[in-house]
Amino acid sequence: MSRTHRTRRTHGGIAAGTLALVLVTSGCISGSGSGSGDSADDPIVIGVSLPLTGDFSEPGKGVERGYKAWAKIVNDNGGLLGRKVELKILDDQSNADRVVSDYEQLIGRDEVDLVFGPFSTRLVVPSARVAEEYGMLFVEPAGAAPEVFQQGFKNLFYAAPAVANDHYNHLAEYILAMPEGDRPKTVAYAAMDDPFAQGTANGLKDKLEKGGVKTVADEVYPPNTTDFGNIAAKIADSKADMVVGGTQYQDGVNLIVALQQLDYQPKMAAFSTAPTEPEFAKAIGNKTEGILAPTGYTQKADYPSNKEFVEKYTEQFGKAPEEDEANAYTTGQVVAAAVEAAKCASQDPDCQKKLVEWLRGNTVETVVGPLKWDDKGRPQSAHMIQQWVGGQIQIVLPDAQKEADLIYPKPKW
Amino acid sequence: MPSASLVFQSVVLGVLLGGLYALLAAGLTLYFGVMRVVMIAHSAFLILAAYLAWYAHREIGVDPLLTLFVTVPLFFAAGVVMQRLLLTRLRPATLTMMSVLLTFSVALVIEGLLGYAFSGTQRRIRLGYSSASIEFFGARIAVVKLIAFGMAALALLGLYVLMKRSRFGQALRATIQHPDAARLLGIDTDRIAGYGFGLGLATAAVGGTALSLDTTIYPSLHWHWIGPLMAIIVVGGLGSVPGAAIAAMTLGMLQSLLQLELSTTWAQTVFYVALFATLAVRPQGFFGGRLAQRF
Amino acid sequence: MRSGSDTRWLRLGVLLVAVALALSFPSMAPSPYEITVGIAILNYAVLSTSWNFVGGFTGYISLGHGAFAGLGAYGTGLLVTKAELPPFAALFAAAAVVAALAVPVGYAALRVRGASFVIVSIALVLILLLVFQSWASLTGGSRGLVVPRPFPGMLRSEHHRTFYFLFLALLAVALLVWWVIDRSRFGMGLKAIREDEDKAQSLGTPTFTYKLVVFVVSATFTALAGGLYALWFGDLDPVFQFSILSGAYMVLMALLGGVRNLYGPLLGALVVGYALEYAKVEFGDTPLHLVVAGLLLGVVVTFMPDGVIPAATALLGRFRRTGETSIREVTAAELRERREENDTTEVSSERSST
Repeated sequence: MSRTHRTRRTHGGIAAGTLALVLVTSGCISGSGSGSGDSADDPIVIGVSLPLTGDFSEPGKGVERGYKAWAKIVNDNGGLLGRKVELKILDDQSNADRVVSDYEQLIGRDEVDLVFGPFSTRLVVPSARVAEEYGMLFVEPAGAAPEVFQQGFKNLFYAAPAVANDHYNHLAEYILAMPEGDRPKTVAYAAMDDPFAQGTANGLKDKLEKGGVKTVADEVYPPNTTDFGNIAAKIADSKADMVVGGTQYQDGVNLIVALQQLDYQPKMAAFSTAPTEPEFAKAIGNKTEGILAPTGYTQKADYPSNKEFVEKYTEQFGKAPEEDEANAYTTGQVVAAAVEAAKCASQDPDCQKKLVEWLRGNTVETVVGPLKWDDKGRPQSAHMIQQWVGGQIQIVLPDAQKEADLIYPKPKW
Repeated sequence: MPSASLVFQSVVLGVLLGGLYALLAAGLTLYFGVMRVVMIAHSAFLILAAYLAWYAHREIGVDPLLTLFVTVPLFFAAGVVMQRLLLTRLRPATLTMMSVLLTFSVALVIEGLLGYAFSGTQRRIRLGYSSASIEFFGARIAVVKLIAFGMAALALLGLYVLMKRSRFGQALRATIQHPDAARLLGIDTDRIAGYGFGLGLATAAVGGTALSLDTTIYPSLHWHWIGPLMAIIVVGGLGSVPGAAIAAMTLGMLQSLLQLELSTTWAQTVFYVALFATLAVRPQGFFGGRLAQRF
Repeated sequence: MRSGSDTRWLRLGVLLVAVALALSFPSMAPSPYEITVGIAILNYAVLSTSWNFVGGFTGYISLGHGAFAGLGAYGTGLLVTKAELPPFAALFAAAAVVAALAVPVGYAALRVRGASFVIVSIALVLILLLVFQSWASLTGGSRGLVVPRPFPGMLRSEHHRTFYFLFLALLAVALLVWWVIDRSRFGMGLKAIREDEDKAQSLGTPTFTYKLVVFVVSATFTALAGGLYALWFGDLDPVFQFSILSGAYMVLMALLGGVRNLYGPLLGALVVGYALEYAKVEFGDTPLHLVVAGLLLGVVVTFMPDGVIPAATALLGRFRRTGETSIREVTAAELRERREENDTTEVSSERSST
């Protein structure tokens, strides 16, 4: 009998120890917040959570570089409202639980003055809800999918020219304006099962189908797909005149290589993201001629702030910025413009409200051009269409910005 | 209705994929045979080998196939060491369950270290012949896929010859079939088990190199492989190498054919449907038998 | 007997203090963030305690309990959004559905022992991940599922506070049920399965029924935890809901704390939750937290498969020279080892003492 009693006592003791540990643990985690007092000398602390490890880490690191470049350029120019800006970046491990807890921590415990958005649609929606419920302005560089704007968020702004479904608008117009006999009659679509990637392909599909261009294949593959043999076989077998890939980087490369292996030769080929990456040409064996891609950013754009951005970014990181970096930088520019206009940067509800209201009614000059938003936070500009012409990627649409003429039909790859 | 040429193309792709599955499942079967161990880390080692091939190619420009001369012996040794130092420490009574957790932890460590060393970026070897293909009765076969299949087939054949024709193979089979009896016959079953484990890991080296030729790799990719492989060894009958090979070919082919009508994601479920069906109808697997029944 | 009642009072006192501390935690937390950390740890604790119904009583190690949590979460979310049930009705309905689903799953999984059981449990997570990703018209697929807040209009900090107490209540119920089973005939039968399933069967324990019942109980609690999480968190994504890693963390937490102990999984949840947080802070943006989790699991499995509590108690016992515990604290394997090493009298004397 005495033995069982002893075990029971250990149980009780353990329970108490456990709870003591809870308290100690939370005590340790809590520690001191950073930006509570808002005197003029204190830096403006901006909280960000980014996927620096895990599945979205590659673009996540790009966004991080963009934010860092922004902070450095702002500080070199004397800061915001005369105060230095300071980034507090946490890693969310590409995990939705973490991203929410990160923003809870940034807003609740660290009492940051402002927040910037994370990367990837999957993480933007949960984190935007945290910001929304604490009444914080939420400008984000990466949630382009339609779902982001259907949640009823009032504080959210997407800092890029256009939402995912509008990326191909110029291309759709161009195709539908072609003479009936000339234009592609059938299209095969393949999109990654990701709200952003699928959004780009679906946007183009809707517009082309409305214009009478037939869909002959419509494939969706999970993000972890590494072997594209079967998908490529179905596309090749459909003998579509045009192939559209709702892709990110590596899946786009794999899909193109698999299509090349099958010797499928479409008259037009458009892929999102992948063709704009610097390593793309080498990755598919330099058979790039004629491949199309939408882009929201070009290093060559002559918006005044872009020159400074490209120059200083290249100085800081030793290479020119890409789209992820540019969108992050744009986020910084948008928030900065609101802060300058509202003359405040703190968690104070009045201040955050002023920031949101200012952005609702105004246009901001950014490295991707002037941006303004509708009442859901959707930007109202459009993406350019680039094409690989003569061994380099050049803007072909819209006419006003074009650097080269669109090649059609596409040469063999 | 898909066209006949597309069906044929899919069959070819299914065979090519099934070959790789067969080799990897053979490795898993070996571990289970010699030790009653479900080796979750098998596919993590697979990815590790693929990374080594990719890294060697990037840094010193050697053809990934040449890395086999290093990775195969290395993995064999790692397998022996792992069996000797880690798995023999576990209590025999709970070996099967605990070995799952132990190898799971090894898989996590490998994934974490790969991510630490090479970041989460997807990688792919760029070979001059990446997009080359040959015509085969109207179907197109990518050269890299053919090489990968060839490697898998050769390795499987080698394994078969080793098991059937050599003294070591006899000892290994005896250890798998009846360890106590094998011990009575003077076989050092502990040493043989270690070598069996090494052999299993060597198949991961071959498989990883084959994989690196034609697909993207990233640290968490192993989760994508372990599920289908485990389903294959259960369907084939735990512990039966030919069973695993047949199940691998069948399921690989089915997956490829199902993709004609279904999306990629739905087609992947075939492995788990087959797994649950097997357990409901014939828990010992279709080609194995005695071993599986006892465990 | 008097010393017995003394310890009982002591135990009760300690328990009361512990409960009081747990209850007052939200009002002591300096910001809502600390409450969310508390909720995360409580969620871990409920999950690993739920897991321990199968793992602790029967010794069957399931790596796939993440599947039940995911099903509970999605079930709750779908019942709220598609069937328009009130949130907490949806929570219990979803748990009932998962319980019903656990019967055939358990039937298939528990027919096989050891290796196949683990494989089935992993396969369950993987197949559900594929299904919930592909069946986008129902589940929202990769676009995710948004579960509306059960208390609309409630401030976010108030929302956290409420759910902290809900999770605490769920944990209390789970612990209570575990405690009751532990003391029942049913529990004795289950533990007999853990020690030697064949012998238990030949002694007349209806092993299969027992295993199935406890499997369903375990799945139900896991589903409740998942569903409560869905109501609290609001955003579901198949990739995060059906992850092998979350199942593995449950195992790690329970094993670490000790599967034979009522409070083992709770303790494990605290340690693991804290260790992961520490790894994140310490190693920043590298995936070394995976290495830490892996090493922790490896060390636990290799050196203290019965968990920290028994290991610590054994250590204490060595000092006090009263190392023996009652027989149900000793595994069959340990007994066998002891039998081989020592004389048999020790074992038999132990046996007679129970």
